[in-house]
Amino acid sequence: MRPAAAEGRLRDLARGIRWYLREVAGETMYDRYVEHVRSEHPGAMVMSRRDFERWRQDDRNDNPRARCC
Amino acid sequence: MATRSRLRSTVIWTTVAVVGAVAWGVIALVRDEQISAVWLIVAALGSYAIAYRFYARFIVTRVLGVDDRRASPSERLDNAIDYHPTDRRVLFGHHFAAIAGAGPLVGPVLAAQMGYLPGTIWIIVGVIFAGAVQDMVTLFFSMRRDGKSLGQMARDEIGPVGGAAALIAVFSIMIILLAVLALVVVNALAASPWGTFSIAMTIPIAFLMGFYLRVLRPGRILEATAIGVALLLLAIVAGGWIQESGGAVADFFTLKPKTLVLCLVAYGFFASVLPVWMLLAPRDYLSTFMKIGTIALLAIGIVVTLPLMENEAVTKFASSGEGPVFAGALFPFVFIIIACGALSGFHSLIASGTTPKMIQKESQIRFIGYGAMLMESFVAVMAIIAASIIDPGLYYAMNAPAGVVGDTVQSASQAVNGLGFQISPQALSSAARDVEEQTLVARTGGAPTLAIGMSEIFSGATGNALKAFWYHFAIMFEALFILTTVDAGTRVGRFMLQDTLGNVWKPLGRVSWKPGVWLTSGIVVAAWGYFLYTGVTNPLGGINQLFPLFGIANQLLAAVALTVATTILVKSGRLKWAWVTGVPLAWDAVVTLTASYQKVFSDDAKIGFFAQRDKFQDALDKGQVLPPAKSVDDMHQVVTNSTVDGILAALFAVMIIVVILDASRIWLRVIVSRRALPTTETPFVESELFAPAGLFPTADERLALAGATAGDGGAVRTDRFTRESETTGPRGGP
Repeated sequence: MRPAAAEGRLRDLARGIRWYLREVAGETMYDRYVEHVRSEHPGAMVMSRRDFERWRQDDRNDNPRARCC
Repeated sequence: MATRSRLRSTVIWTTVAVVGAVAWGVIALVRDEQISAVWLIVAALGSYAIAYRFYARFIVTRVLGVDDRRASPSERLDNAIDYHPTDRRVLFGHHFAAIAGAGPLVGPVLAAQMGYLPGTIWIIVGVIFAGAVQDMVTLFFSMRRDGKSLGQMARDEIGPVGGAAALIAVFSIMIILLAVLALVVVNALAASPWGTFSIAMTIPIAFLMGFYLRVLRPGRILEATAIGVALLLLAIVAGGWIQESGGAVADFFTLKPKTLVLCLVAYGFFASVLPVWMLLAPRDYLSTFMKIGTIALLAIGIVVTLPLMENEAVTKFASSGEGPVFAGALFPFVFIIIACGALSGFHSLIASGTTPKMIQKESQIRFIGYGAMLMESFVAVMAIIAASIIDPGLYYAMNAPAGVVGDTVQSASQAVNGLGFQISPQALSSAARDVEEQTLVARTGGAPTLAIGMSEIFSGATGNALKAFWYHFAIMFEALFILTTVDAGTRVGRFMLQDTLGNVWKPLGRVSWKPGVWLTSGIVVAAWGYFLYTGVTNPLGGINQLFPLFGIANQLLAAVALTVATTILVKSGRLKWAWVTGVPLAWDAVVTLTASYQKVFSDDAKIGFFAQRDKFQDALDKGQVLPPAKSVDDMHQVVTNSTVDGILAALFAVMIIVVILDASRIWLRVIVSRRALPTTETPFVESELFAPAGLFPTADERLALAGATAGDGGAVRTDRFTRESETTGPRGGP
């Protein structure tokens, strides 16, 4: 494999891992929320990131998720 | 082209089958010499691959009839929050993190008392035909009902009686589960300043992460987790310094089991009433990343160091039923003790919770439902390996209750000799010194044994100097996610209680009314705290007495889930396929009822709770004190514990019978009338979403994906997608 191709592949891998970790951790939820509001409810107010993350955390107070044994 | 790829597929699958069969042959037939742990890994992976490729595919296509033309709840109800089409690989991660915990690690360690063979066979065969089937089928039925919970499905499909029994089953398993898991932590941390300090530090670390995510940089979860993991590793190293310094700080963190019980109960209470962002959410991130990382590390460790199995394939305790770790013969108790790694009823709560609301396409249930459970089973195989590569003498010295092995290395060495195994007092002391613990005698609960096994595997790769670090790393890893289960479980239990009590008196159901929250949290904590306390103080050994109850409760919940699934199959006119869930249900019912029957009615005081009660009560009446009890108080305690545990075992058995009888009323109605009952599925809506089914897209899926722009995590909205692309080639292999 040529060095340039190997480097490209490595960069793809790093990008893939970053994408996966961000998705699994839920970091991308805000972007998705903004996109959703803009396309489905145009004109509606969009929460700031801080407000959204707080709202999401507080929502889990009343909707706990079980963790298994 | 088509014939060539078919030929290639035949060659590959024949090879997998042959390699798997050879590995099984080595495990089952080699008797006179030690075998390498790698054979267990190969047998497991080969069996999983074949089961995933053929059996899971058969269930998905023939029995359930998944239909990718049908829009999933996440597509129809997409609100970008709780319903959202999530990339299958991401959802797999979420689902696996939610189902995997300490259960598959602890159960197999205890089951190693019967030898590695019975446990390994059940972990692999059980997951293929029961555990993974239950998870996938529950996921499917919940998905077809907009993500309904198991309790709701039991009420809708079976009726109010079955529904109520299911609810009681969920609540009682939760209480027993929390008590047993907390007991594992207590046994791992008692008299260990290193371990106690490291675990205590997770609380300020979590607060710090919570503050970071709430105030400093909201939503930057990976940054906060990276900081948390770094601090966590530092806390493990610092625990070693504290212990070595031996000063007042070390004394402060040297706690007796009873003190640890109070700490855990207080922790459970506060964790469940404090806002989630402070403690629960950050710990959840930490424990998820630690969990995945450590499991991967363990797999690599085993493959790199190729350890030999020291344990026997089948020990004499399998038939005599007189093992010190837990009483009872191979049937039914190996199937009860293994629990989570092969069939776990608890998973049906996860499979009917968040996951069905996030799945993109129906065909992905095989990868997510069946696949994630195969991975959990693989964790259980690694746990039985870790318990089986350590010296059997050490294993019994660690896992037999203090009532059997006493509390000195001399008494333990003698007791182990009496059991038919050898370990010298010197060897016991040096094993403890290697991992810098005061003692390893009677460290029951599975976690310390697993930590010894893991430290042996890891230090095989990194050198013996790091042995103590790896031991405490493993203890930390287990305690961390057990405590995450404890606080999440207390919270879920509190909500269930509030929900139920709210029907009696409205304000108690309100989640915003603080006194109600405190009261119900207090009740839940007191309930598991009671069992935890009796477990810690029981002269007969808490794990010995309580773990079988936990196993029975978990298998009871599996029986509920499999009954619901079988009922839906029967009602929807799929009687001829009902065996897919019906056979595992029958097996599970036989195992669980036999175990409860023995726990209630056995004349052997080691097994039967009431026989045990009578034995100690009779002695009390005569004014005697029976060992291992040391005082009249101990005697009274044994009598009370045995009575409570016996009643619980009977209650669990009654609930299984009620649920199955109530459901069979419906099965009979369908069989007699030969007519399917009205469906409870949500109506068909055409899907406009396309996404691959398995981990890797097939050639056809790649073609369908090409050209369209990616969005929604690898899924593509398209109206050009046609059914032909699905029927021309085999769908995603493993």
